[in-house]
Amino acid sequence: MRAQSSALTRGLALAAGLGLALAACSSGGGGGSSGKGSSAGLSSCNTQGKANTCNSAPTKSGGTFTYVLEKNIQQWNVQDTNGNTFENAEALEVVLPQVFVPLPDFTVALNKDLVTSAAQTSSSPQTLVYKINPKAAWNDGTPITADDFIYYWRTNDGKDCPPPPASDSTQTKGCLPQSTAGYDRIKSVTGSDGGRTVTVVMAKPFSDWKQLFGAGYPLYPAHIAEKLSGAKVGDAAHMTAAQMTQGWQYFQKNPPTKYATAGPYKMTQWADNDHATFEPDPKWWGATKPSLQRLIFKVISDATQEPIALRNNEVQAIYPQPEVDLVNQVKSIPNVTYNIGNGLQWEHFDLNLHNPVLGKYTALRQAMFTAISIKDIMSKTVQQFDPSVKPLGSHNYVPGQAGYQDLVTATGQGSGDLTKAKKYLTDAKFTGVGSALKTPDGKAVGPFNCRYTTGNQIRQSECQILQSDLANLGVKVTIKPIGAADLGTVLAGHQYDIIVFAWVASPFPTANAQQNWVTGGGGNYGGYSDKTVDQLIAQAVGTTDQTQAAALLNKADKIMVNAAYVLPLYQKPTFLAVQTRFVNMRNNSTNVGPPYNTAEWGLKK
Amino acid sequence: MLAYTVRRILVSIPVLIASTFIVFLVVVNAGDPVANFATSRQPRPSPAAIQAFARHIHANEPAVQRYWNWITGVLHGDWGPSVQPNLDIGHDLFTRFRVTLTLVAAAMLIALVLAVVFGVFSAIRQYTAADYTITFFGFLFLAMPVFWFAVLLKQAGIWFNEQTGSQFLGTIGEKSPYLEVDTTWNEFTDRIGHLALPTITLALVSFASWTRYTRASMLEVLNSDYVRLARAKGLRRRTVMVRHALRTALIPLATVTALDIAIILGGAVITETIFQWHGMGEMLVESAATVDVYRTMAWLLLSAVVVIGFNLIADLLYAVLDPRIRYD
Amino acid sequence: MTDTEAAGSAGTQLPPTEHEFTITQRTQTQLVLRRFLRHRAAMVSLVVFVLILLWAFIGPHLWHYSYQKYTPDNSQAPSWKHPFGTNASGYDAYAQVMRGTQTSLKIAILIALGSTLLGAVWGAVAGFYRGFVDSTMMRIADLVLTLPLFAIALVISSRSGGSWYWIAAVIAGLTWAYVARVVRATVLSLREKEFVEAAKALGASDARIIFRHLLPNSLGPIIVNATVLVATGILTETALSFVGFGVQPPDTSLGLLVSQAQTAVDTRPWLFYIPGAFIIAIALTINFIGDGLRDAFDPRQQRVRQ
Repeated sequence: MRAQSSALTRGLALAAGLGLALAACSSGGGGGSSGKGSSAGLSSCNTQGKANTCNSAPTKSGGTFTYVLEKNIQQWNVQDTNGNTFENAEALEVVLPQVFVPLPDFTVALNKDLVTSAAQTSSSPQTLVYKINPKAAWNDGTPITADDFIYYWRTNDGKDCPPPPASDSTQTKGCLPQSTAGYDRIKSVTGSDGGRTVTVVMAKPFSDWKQLFGAGYPLYPAHIAEKLSGAKVGDAAHMTAAQMTQGWQYFQKNPPTKYATAGPYKMTQWADNDHATFEPDPKWWGATKPSLQRLIFKVISDATQEPIALRNNEVQAIYPQPEVDLVNQVKSIPNVTYNIGNGLQWEHFDLNLHNPVLGKYTALRQAMFTAISIKDIMSKTVQQFDPSVKPLGSHNYVPGQAGYQDLVTATGQGSGDLTKAKKYLTDAKFTGVGSALKTPDGKAVGPFNCRYTTGNQIRQSECQILQSDLANLGVKVTIKPIGAADLGTVLAGHQYDIIVFAWVASPFPTANAQQNWVTGGGGNYGGYSDKTVDQLIAQAVGTTDQTQAAALLNKADKIMVNAAYVLPLYQKPTFLAVQTRFVNMRNNSTNVGPPYNTAEWGLKK
Repeated sequence: MLAYTVRRILVSIPVLIASTFIVFLVVVNAGDPVANFATSRQPRPSPAAIQAFARHIHANEPAVQRYWNWITGVLHGDWGPSVQPNLDIGHDLFTRFRVTLTLVAAAMLIALVLAVVFGVFSAIRQYTAADYTITFFGFLFLAMPVFWFAVLLKQAGIWFNEQTGSQFLGTIGEKSPYLEVDTTWNEFTDRIGHLALPTITLALVSFASWTRYTRASMLEVLNSDYVRLARAKGLRRRTVMVRHALRTALIPLATVTALDIAIILGGAVITETIFQWHGMGEMLVESAATVDVYRTMAWLLLSAVVVIGFNLIADLLYAVLDPRIRYD
Repeated sequence: MTDTEAAGSAGTQLPPTEHEFTITQRTQTQLVLRRFLRHRAAMVSLVVFVLILLWAFIGPHLWHYSYQKYTPDNSQAPSWKHPFGTNASGYDAYAQVMRGTQTSLKIAILIALGSTLLGAVWGAVAGFYRGFVDSTMMRIADLVLTLPLFAIALVISSRSGGSWYWIAAVIAGLTWAYVARVVRATVLSLREKEFVEAAKALGASDARIIFRHLLPNSLGPIIVNATVLVATGILTETALSFVGFGVQPPDTSLGLLVSQAQTAVDTRPWLFYIPGAFIIAIALTINFIGDGLRDAFDPRQQRVRQ
């Protein structure tokens, strides 16, 4: 018996030692980290003005570079509602051309390899003229002409290729573009100079015209669609709906390995749910020739496995959602540079205005928002890995965009100022302030539920801080997570009182504003409605002047801030980590992501 | 025996139908995939797109009708529409099954061999230091959460790579996306390198429990009369061990193995997620989380057939190996 | 003469005819208990387990931090103020681990109890009756074995808000089938024994035979199995939490704590190792206790003569 227990203790000690040994071995040497939010090659990216040029260096030819996609690509038509995913955009922009490309600093740049000039030549009617680069051609020899633009317009305007009829259960007898915004305002698209000049005339003005034919949604080769559907090649203007549908479906089902593309690389292999392989396209005519021997996009669906894969040199760059442990893990990997950039996603609290108490009393909402301390929230969440994060002050723009104005801070919302919050309530004749809040009519306020998607610790903390802040006003809040499969139901059915999630801003904010803030908009879950705001946003969508559009949106935003419907919290950071032996990758937080400039990527010379 | 087998197979059919019907009802009520679709994209899909999607996945039909259409569809190879666009459920299912099978077969083989070796050794050297150590580690591995161990194993793998200056051990996927020098030998070593860590992870728990089982079974046999007689007859120890004791001792292990394999085939979810092997386990979690009814049903059908099949094999093995058991 | 003899040896010798030599009779339970108490590893494990149990259930009342309230100290390493450190939102890890242990234990014990009760009765009835009843009951058990834990757990956890008794109910509802198989096998061999025949001859009803004779005699494997179920119950709950279908916040469990901290292995190791160590400790002690019980019920596995 004694032998038994001493063997037991020996065994325990051995196990403990093994565990400690594993732990010690795993923490490796220090990395090249310096500066607050980035290191070495990517360190200057957060400096004002350097976002588009940081981490630049001459390259030498050769090398295989593996980048990570966080989801499988299920459908290859990125213009389609179902195919409109970030990963799809990342993979396709390597091989398909687009007119304007969003840059890391949230501006858009003209893609001179495709189009040598794109200008608005007249504002009434709004006329746009694109001059296609004479060298631009698909890699089967067919030149890129106005026909490709015409095909793009007609498949995306919602009219020439209509959605599938009610009798179609296979969902295949029509086109379902992710958005018809802009294309449904085009009156005509015509080619001249042998198809090298494209003239677009708008029926109604569209302020975000730079979004057309690009901005993350590239052009597909029209002649491929024409050939397989039996239409006359080069004559997209006369394709029938059935023919366009055939083309649409073809691009859905087939990866670019199967048809002619026009990019610095061509996709040579697609292994479903595993990886895509790209190799330099010898037919590429562009200014920058690709230097890598091979480019691979590998699918890794669990973000927690990415730093380990990076450390093991199975991938060379990762682009996950940052969180404190992930960032710290990457920091400790040697020969890796990283950047914590400011993204286009922003976190916010939404109130459900369908709730009778919340919907009726503006003062209550203003008080609730004023009592919440965004500083507390940030210190427990994003500031743990990015101390430079600041509260967000706009519903339409993020800092760094030209139209950004901080409209929220001045009102005191998000400050946690309890005295000010209580004053709103006492002024509006609420009773029981600080203990058990009641409306002027004597009805009890709350309890409200705060909801977030389950499994998200950051959002769990945000709800808990809100709960504790509002308790100071006398409002009881219960926390009710939303099951993994239920977010859609909860939002669409507005089954919440308070909810926290994220919107994605855009270099073209008017379309988003229309969806989210206008009465009855598809993203307007909380039931906000204000006629002035509706008018201002409609005007903003229709004006051709970007600065004027920004002014109008901000005017509408001021009204929204006063109505206290949505409280912006902070801009969510993005995180890019790359091995230092490769250069020219940059953190691009727009919907095109870091692969916006794959032609430049390469081994450091 | 044959009659028994046939009867069991016939009875399995109503079991399968009942099982699939129950799960169908559960999953159909689990959530609303149409609402998820409507809110999942930015910009939001148009009402026409939402309706097309609802029609596509038969969301508005009554559950019983959907179930009937599904089961008649499966009988001629149509597995139904998935929530994910473009996904051929049947093709995906069998690809993933092949992946899980590779992983599980390798792991179970290693676990079985090691369990027999360690279990027998432990039984022969009962109450010695070696026995206690093996027992302790067996219990330790039984007590560890799988992903807790997998995380540590990955760290150890990277440490190993760094020490040997090689990239032998892979932490994600079945194989590398490309090989610099593409020879058969390199492909082989690449596969082994990617198989190593997940196999160890998966084998661990089975190894621990099977070792205990073998040890207990071996002890019981070693104490029995006929083994004592064999030794008394003067047979060599090796002959006694292998020819008499071991074969009897392995009988219960065979049935336990069959059952355990069925369980693991159904979803080595954690191992597959951590090592990014796209197999059946990942498929179940994905389809449950996206409320993908038809995909979940496809998973269930294959998994249920496997479980029922292995249960039958276990019961038959028991009868075959132990002549005292008779089925009528 | 007798008086002299008696006087000479007073109190040391009784007259032989009046002395009856007896030994204390021990019941079955006492025998099992004695053998268990002699198993050193099991005893140590029992003590450790009971200590953990007490700490998990009584500790929170004595500790000044609550697992639900956050403190201003974010992501701190263990210190005197926070013996197990804090997590990113400033929650005291000591309070969370206590609460987590409590929840995990509640779940595991409920699983073991529910699963064993249902499975034992099911398996005993099936094994006793054999024939058609047996076949039907075991096919139902087969059916239950095919149901996927993750899919059902997902639905239940999202509908019920992740309350611990629902999670336990789901897991128990799927694991009783294994218990039933084991008990049925035991009962199949037991029912041929003479005491069952005797009971039948005496006119005992079926229910009486099952509940008063068969089940108590199968107690050995049943109890051992139940202890194993506690251990696997905790590990199953951990696996569910890893994929997000287990206990939901604001409640916590050991599985949830470890899965939330899986990226913190290097960077904030106290969040990963401490809850993991508790899971291992609980499962380990339970396994040793089960081993001790198995040895206690079945002492045939004594030292083998080489």
